[in-house]
Amino acid sequence: MVQVDANSKIALRIKFKKTGKLQYISHLDLVRTMHKIIIRAKLPIWYTEGFNPKPKMVFAAPLSIGTESFSEFMDVRLTERIDTAEAMRALNANMTDEMQVTEAYYPETKFTEMRWLSYTMLIKTDNADKSLAEACDNVLNSEKIEVLKNTKSGEALVDIKPLIRSASAVLDGENIRISAVLSSDPSTFLNPEYVIKALREKVGIISNPDCTKEGYSIIRENSFFEDMSAFK
Amino acid sequence: MHNSKIPSSVLKSVQKPGRYIGGEYNSVIKDKNKVKCRFAFAFPDTYEIGMSNLGVRILYDTINAHKNIWCERVYAPWTDMQEKMRQYEIPLTAQESGDPLSAFDMVAFSLQYELCYTTALAMIKMAGFPLLSKDRGEDTPIIVGGGPCVYNPEPIADFFDLINIGEGEEVLLEICDLYIKMKEEGSYSRAAFLREASHIEGVYIPSLYDVTYNDDGTIKEYKPLYEDVPTKIRKRIVADMDKAPYPEKLVMPYIETVHDRIVLEVYRGCIRGCRFCQAGMVYRPIREKSPETLCKQAKCLFDNTGYDEISLISLSISDYSELPKLTDDLLSWTDEAHVSLSLPSLRIDSFSEELMQKVSSVRTGGITFAPEAGTQRLRDVINKNVTEEDLMRSVGIAFRGGKSNIKLYFMNGLPTETLDDIKGIAELATKVVGEYFKLPKPERPKGIGVTISVSCFVPKPFTPFQWEKQDSYELLMEKQAYLRDCITDRRVRYTYHEAKVSFIEAVLARGDRRLAPAILYAVENGAIFDAWDEYFDYDRWISAFEACGIDPAFYTTRGFGLDEILPWDIIDIGVTKAFLRRERDKAYKGETTPSCAEKCSGCGANKLGGKNRWCK
Repeated sequence: MVQVDANSKIALRIKFKKTGKLQYISHLDLVRTMHKIIIRAKLPIWYTEGFNPKPKMVFAAPLSIGTESFSEFMDVRLTERIDTAEAMRALNANMTDEMQVTEAYYPETKFTEMRWLSYTMLIKTDNADKSLAEACDNVLNSEKIEVLKNTKSGEALVDIKPLIRSASAVLDGENIRISAVLSSDPSTFLNPEYVIKALREKVGIISNPDCTKEGYSIIRENSFFEDMSAFK
Repeated sequence: MHNSKIPSSVLKSVQKPGRYIGGEYNSVIKDKNKVKCRFAFAFPDTYEIGMSNLGVRILYDTINAHKNIWCERVYAPWTDMQEKMRQYEIPLTAQESGDPLSAFDMVAFSLQYELCYTTALAMIKMAGFPLLSKDRGEDTPIIVGGGPCVYNPEPIADFFDLINIGEGEEVLLEICDLYIKMKEEGSYSRAAFLREASHIEGVYIPSLYDVTYNDDGTIKEYKPLYEDVPTKIRKRIVADMDKAPYPEKLVMPYIETVHDRIVLEVYRGCIRGCRFCQAGMVYRPIREKSPETLCKQAKCLFDNTGYDEISLISLSISDYSELPKLTDDLLSWTDEAHVSLSLPSLRIDSFSEELMQKVSSVRTGGITFAPEAGTQRLRDVINKNVTEEDLMRSVGIAFRGGKSNIKLYFMNGLPTETLDDIKGIAELATKVVGEYFKLPKPERPKGIGVTISVSCFVPKPFTPFQWEKQDSYELLMEKQAYLRDCITDRRVRYTYHEAKVSFIEAVLARGDRRLAPAILYAVENGAIFDAWDEYFDYDRWISAFEACGIDPAFYTTRGFGLDEILPWDIIDIGVTKAFLRRERDKAYKGETTPSCAEKCSGCGANKLGGKNRWCK
């Protein structure tokens, strides 16, 4: 273990999952929760200077409520280099099963280098059959996919197709399964909810007003660099 | 049977779904097939409020330490969720297992304020249980009530099968043990269990009493139905706070709650005897924890929670006899660990520069004091025992320490209050502003603001003012308007409580068993979350009283006769009625009573035992 000056920039990166019921925890609440976890784990946290010292935590691509993830990243600033396996063990002992660290390492990249995120969406809808899956697939692979999107200047019809690297729909038992790779760049980030929205509007899936009968789940699976190699 | 798990599509369609998911770090999961008693601890308010309650945190931990009992938490779903639950027939469920309340043996409600009664009943309804105790069958869990409100259990007596009077740490386990024993022996039936439970000290079974009334509507007699049922129920206390159970872990909410920090209970009871204060009487005798115990508990809680704030809780923290040692010992590690200390409930007469530096937190620019009344005369009547000089000294320290926002708590409608006393509130606030300008300019913090927050006096049971009349709504409105006119300084901000709310609160706090039909009427007509301004409906309460032939004035503006049998006389809190009467007489003479630390006033609470340095 090497002692380093407190001002040096040792960032530990962790990759973690946030699954099950934790999909209902907002990003802000995740930040508060993670703050307590790193304290409980007794990591040698570096605190910001000034009147109100705080740990320095940076998250990549915030997740919206209702999306599970196996690919969340956080950098936390430390005062010294510690054994990553030990850090991972300490963090996991202080989290519940639905949130666990899957990797811990000292990063050589920046979060801004992350470019794509892959998702799996399972849609439970009345009359899910092969032709409905095909109709969904056709929409996802058409030239243009226009949906009403909240933008800085209010609601506007936006073509989300350029933000989709690839997308497909297949019938999976009684569900329609969508696999999609969407932009994670902060300026062009595409929330997967818009993909569902497009299919709702254009194919009419999930039209039953009884929300206990129809619905969908979204899972963020992986994160990638521009060249589609796994983000690290 | 409905599926007890809430569908994800429902969770996605409500505000703050994190309230309903459970699965928090440090929550306790047991094998339901291996426990002998399933205990649901219900808090009749939102998750954010319920999760912050210290009593629930202590009892959750205490009950779960028992291997045969699994205690789970239940909160009131917000109205958007309730709508979905009705729409899709989703029953009320517990946080840990997600099971409906019908799967439990006992459902206990923590009743912290009278305005939560309707929420508690609405939750019983959501669980699918009959609202009235007498209508419940063998399959319904035992519905238990406890908490500070049940020192007058009568308004809700018809709704609860069993009421826990006093501190619950020991008695709740005794109740569960009896339940388990009777189930195992095969001697259990609701009736047999409740009868047997009535013999446990601190347990009140309302259905085992008959109440009769005089022609003028006052109470004639409380009569136990059987000889073995006690004529008076003495409250339970935990004798030795150093040995009392205290959680080593706290359930960690994912979403932000009201008091999202470590709460360290420093002592129970209060050495002061403010005559309006129910807590100051019902929590007697005072029992302190040692600084050693507290430091151990604080460190352990920090390790297990990761919170960066510790709040030292008691009725009046500066009265803790070892406060300097406690704060020094805590500060020996908290600073380095980036943990801050907060001390709510600071008294004006013991606020010091040293104390403020210890707790100085840059996160808040404000500080709150409670002079309660505007003149020395009235402060003597209520036995507040602080002076204007104390207040000016304290705000001076606060200003010099960089606090620029001072909040002052007062009450309107106190016994003997005159317009002069009300005017005194405005004058006091102006003097506080003046204190700020006495400082040399470079020493003044920026942006002075003084807020006076005025509530309406509710004469609470088991206080020297329990017999007093409450001011009428009209009079309180006049007083609020008069005070507004008295405030001339634009740096003084004035906020006040809705007098209508205090009126209903008084009815619910001071009522007897005859109120039950009105409460039932209110609940059947949609009353819930009365403690939330947006859901409080005064007119609904008035129609409830009218529909049930109840005159609310009987419990409020009438006052109670000194010789009258009071609805709460069935309860023995330790402090005697004779002491309360003496204190009332002194109030009218403007005489103060010294604190327990100065001189014992013979309140009677010492007969309950309890380890402390003052009571004989």
